Amino acid sequence: RASPLSGELMDLIRTEGQRMTAAQPSETTVGNMVRRVLKVIREEYGRLHGRSEESDQQESLHKLLTSGGLSEDFRTPYPSLRANVIEAINEMLIELEGTTDNIAMQALEHIHSNEVIMTIGYSRTVEAFLKEAARKRKFQVIVAECAPFCQGHEMAVRLSKENIETTVMSDAAIFAVMSRVNKVIIGTKTILANGALIAVSGTHTLALAAKHHSTPLIVCAPMFKLSPQFPNEEDSFHKFVSPQEVLPFTEGEILAKINVHCPVFDYVPPELITLFISNIGGNAPSYIYRLMSELYHPDDYEL
Amino acid sequence: PDAPRCLSDLIETFRAQLRDDPDVASAVAAIRALLGFLKQDRGETIQGLRNSLRDAIDTLSRVDSSVAVSSGGELFLRFITLTSLEYSDYSKCKEIMIERGEIFLRKVSLSRNKIAKLCHPFIRDGARILTHAYSRVVLRVLEAAVESKKRFSVYVTESQPDQAGQKMAKALRKLNIPVTVILDAAVGYIMEKVDLVLVGAEGVVESGGIINKIGSNQIAVCAKAQNKPFYVVAESFKFVRLFPLNQQDVPDRFKYKADTLKKGQNLTEEHPWIDYTSPSLITLLFTDLGVLTPSAVSDELIKLYL
Repeated sequence: RASPLSGELMDLIRTEGQRMTAAQPSETTVGNMVRRVLKVIREEYGRLHGRSEESDQQESLHKLLTSGGLSEDFRTPYPSLRANVIEAINEMLIELEGTTDNIAMQALEHIHSNEVIMTIGYSRTVEAFLKEAARKRKFQVIVAECAPFCQGHEMAVRLSKENIETTVMSDAAIFAVMSRVNKVIIGTKTILANGALIAVSGTHTLALAAKHHSTPLIVCAPMFKLSPQFPNEEDSFHKFVSPQEVLPFTEGEILAKINVHCPVFDYVPPELITLFISNIGGNAPSYIYRLMSELYHPDDYEL
Repeated sequence: PDAPRCLSDLIETFRAQLRDDPDVASAVAAIRALLGFLKQDRGETIQGLRNSLRDAIDTLSRVDSSVAVSSGGELFLRFITLTSLEYSDYSKCKEIMIERGEIFLRKVSLSRNKIAKLCHPFIRDGARILTHAYSRVVLRVLEAAVESKKRFSVYVTESQPDQAGQKMAKALRKLNIPVTVILDAAVGYIMEKVDLVLVGAEGVVESGGIINKIGSNQIAVCAKAQNKPFYVVAESFKFVRLFPLNQQDVPDRFKYKADTLKKGQNLTEEHPWIDYTSPSLITLLFTDLGVLTPSAVSDELIKLYL
């Protein structure tokens, strides 16, 4: 096979990425992975091209002043590029497989004995986190059921199988119980570039109640959920499903007179979050911009 | 003999630029004038060059005391230092400096368009925007929003003492944007009606806060109280190495016009032209380096100056 031109490869990947994200805009992890692969290709190309390791790919004031004005055009073919890229992608796959375990390993630093932890809905990351802590510590968990899909029930069943004292309660009781809670630990669907969350519907309520009682809100999420988008008018994060769950079709008479919505996601602003626990450690929401610059290249923010 | 003539030429070049192109940012005009000064400098050493450039920058600050000119000058000096570190031969160094200077000026002239492209998606259709005084960057952003077929209305503060808001309103009416001029004192009253606040900045300080026309701090505090997003648009050459903790920490040479400072009267009788808005009140900054949270600004400055 002829040596691949990295420029063409990147265009190919970008087109496929656009198609995939257009198919399901709320699955931001697809776009994130495409961006990471593009960054891998840029890095490998740069390494082969002989650029020094420390030269920053990001736009910065420093670069504005010192650059000679040429931008990378990715035209030079390198035969070993393919092998390098494949190796880097395999490394990334190994990292992805270990994310839940990496996060769970940090559980003991954050959960102490006789604490009351609150969570909402069902998150595999939080489940692993709590299970790991339960091996050495005794604590209680309150799970908000997260209507209308009530995934909190499944979370409660799984946690109680590990002999963790679990209580399920309705979303309306979140504020009432919050004064007795020591920590709130939640998962999320996406982390946005300003440190905000797109999480399951009901999380904003939980975050506001936690803020009111000054209870720390900890978000357990792997880094592949970090998306370089800002919350703006695109509103492509919103996903509305059948309102059957909220008001069943059997209530036929009133259905004609009212509007029923069933949003799946909630936006949680960054001021309400205390800590992000990810596979690379704990970070504050104000530090997210830095993590983003390490994972993605600014030219790839718009796929 | 040579020096005074060159400096007065410098001032003339600077003033001419501002006259011919009212749209150009004062920092860009300053950098262009300094580049011209560099081209005809007869010195033989880097040290000599830096000294004469410092004099030049001081002269320019005495003409226009704004933060932007000061940050532009600092940036230019930094640019000289960085380039001189790479090349030891002075004449080659000077050639590279001039070449890079031109490239820098070209890049910088595109920065307003870059910012407009980043910022206009944040303006929703049907939005009501509040802005303060006259900012060419904000004007460019709103122009880009109009080009993308968004409908919105704008409230502009009158912005005493020079009524800059009226100038902004006139420019917006030319773009067919429905605009209302409000009193500076009416910001608290109008805040419940607006969806977002969009202001420019004369300088962006290390903490991520901004220095802007007097009244900006008030607007930021009102916006925070009513939970409205407060967006700042600024080009990256406005980043300045200051870290004010409160209003008093901002140097007097920025607060008052150059003529007022020269007269040397009691400054407590004078009204300051700018104020400092702390980063906790700012939601996002739109710069040509990307969309930044206030905490990312100090990172950028560190990368440049250290």
